[in-house]
Amino acid sequence: MTAGNSPSTGREAGSAERRILELSILYEVSRALQRTVDEERALHIILAGVTAGPGLGFNRAFILLLDEEAQALRGRMAIGPENPEEATRIWRHLSERHVSLGDLLHSILDDEIQKDRWINELVSRVEIPLGEGSNPWIRVLRSHEAGRAHDGTIQPHGIPIDDGMALTFGANHFAAAPLFLGDSDLGILIADNAITRAPIGEDHLRLLEIYAQEASAAIQNTRLYRKLTDQIQISEERNVTLRASQRQLLEVERLTTMGRLATLLAYRVRAPLANIGGFARRLSRAVPGEDARRNEVDIIVSEVARLERLVEEVLAYRRISKTEFRPTDVNALIRSVLITMHDEIQRNRIRPILRLQHDLPLVCMDELQVRQALMNLAANAVEAMPSGGALTIATAMGGDYLEIDVGDTGTGIPKQNWEKLFKPFFTTKTTGTGLGLAIVSQVVETHKGTLSFESLQGIGTCMHLRLALHPESRTPGPDCEPAAPFEG
Amino acid sequence: MNTILIVDDDRNLRRLYQAELEAEGYRVVLAGDGDEAAKCVARELPDLIVMDIRMPQKDGLDAMAQILLDHGRVPIILNTAYSSYQDDFFTWAADAYIIKSADLNPLKNTIREILGSQPKSGAAPLDAVPRREARASRDSEKHG
Repeated sequence: MTAGNSPSTGREAGSAERRILELSILYEVSRALQRTVDEERALHIILAGVTAGPGLGFNRAFILLLDEEAQALRGRMAIGPENPEEATRIWRHLSERHVSLGDLLHSILDDEIQKDRWINELVSRVEIPLGEGSNPWIRVLRSHEAGRAHDGTIQPHGIPIDDGMALTFGANHFAAAPLFLGDSDLGILIADNAITRAPIGEDHLRLLEIYAQEASAAIQNTRLYRKLTDQIQISEERNVTLRASQRQLLEVERLTTMGRLATLLAYRVRAPLANIGGFARRLSRAVPGEDARRNEVDIIVSEVARLERLVEEVLAYRRISKTEFRPTDVNALIRSVLITMHDEIQRNRIRPILRLQHDLPLVCMDELQVRQALMNLAANAVEAMPSGGALTIATAMGGDYLEIDVGDTGTGIPKQNWEKLFKPFFTTKTTGTGLGLAIVSQVVETHKGTLSFESLQGIGTCMHLRLALHPESRTPGPDCEPAAPFEG
Repeated sequence: MNTILIVDDDRNLRRLYQAELEAEGYRVVLAGDGDEAAKCVARELPDLIVMDIRMPQKDGLDAMAQILLDHGRVPIILNTAYSSYQDDFFTWAADAYIIKSADLNPLKNTIREILGSQPKSGAAPLDAVPRREARASRDSEKHG
């Protein structure tokens, strides 16, 4: 919205009448300024008040604001027509509609701001370094004293007006007032009559100065408000983060409780299971092989064995948090795993094949954990071979790692399951916990190792375990001397 | 004939163990809690004790301590559903720690091993028989 002044209004009024007019202008403008906390709108209201016919009545107005970071006075916003033709058109339009200052300011508050493009491009290019002490604008800013062009100089500062400035603002037709609050400089407000060439008197300068004080307070308000909302936003963001970590804590707490419950349940279930299974085994031995009931009793036996494994897996998953590294004879460990699984291997017509490197050194590991991992891998291998096959376990040294391969000639792992394979609770078995491979991968992680596999459907699967020789640190711990060659 | 004392508050377990161990050719006596166990030891002078840990009133570890103090060296196998006691220093006084399981072979094998390696004992010093390495018992815990 451009509001230039018709040259005949206001200035010819008598002294008392002019005072009342001035007061009403200040009143209207400050009322409008109180209604906004947006700097852009506030600046526009300030400029409109300077140029409105029913306001201060200048042709054009400019605001330059202090940019602390750039240490410069920067053009921020302006109002005014580009040339006399545009000015005439606007003034005629306004006087025909009899727009009051209040209406004008309200339209700025409520409507979208429309900037005069030409003059705003002009003002946006203004950037005066604060170091230029002889620059009239810097002088106005720093001295907190308004000045007006008079007889080729800016009064009362006495700075000569150079040609550029005379060309932009008219040699004798502009004034500037400082925008400041207490000790802090905000910028300057420039007003001119470059179109009408109407002279600017001492009284106009005084009014502009008072007006600039009102404007300064408004600008400062919007800034304080913005600072406040920024801080509110920051503290809200902090609250959100706080709430999120609170939720995480609760989640951890919940999982811990669930884990404790699961452990407790597993322990409690173990004794009755042992009794059921124990009696079922007795019954199984008592019933002759040819009796049909023998088969049914054996189902109880194998189901209980399954449940016991499930209990064991739940407990093992909880146990991994406790780790104890000891030098371990891996080959012996593997043999003992196979001995433990002897029944299962026999029952499923599996042929175990051991390819153990015979001069393997003792390797630092948590024996219980690695045993559990190997048990899980071997059990998976056996389950993958429902109609029999070969279970191969191989060991080898590879640099800083011990390598253990567990291979089967079973069904293979379907490609769509590859990614989910090591996730807890992923299972393809109706009775599985889905913890088996999750435990293996946790064990591998505690041993700073890697776990990979190859699988071909219908051919078989090979799981590759690589365990770091010194998983605790680069230097072995006190109870874990450097791996010594192990004979046997 | 060796006498084995089974100490467990679970009646069904006592019945199962009695049947299974008698079938192995042992004489089996039973106790339902720690106090009863202490009296039973004085009366029956068992060659080996299979002891549960979690029992009402006096638990297995307290009962074990009292029996070892009062009667000197008696082989004791701790037999529990809880693996958590293994870290308890007091369980070290036992000869073996076996997790309860439907598969009684680990228990039977351990009993056979202990009785086989042992002259008929009465009051041997406490440290005469070293505790079975945790490995053997933990093996059975995992896979029994």
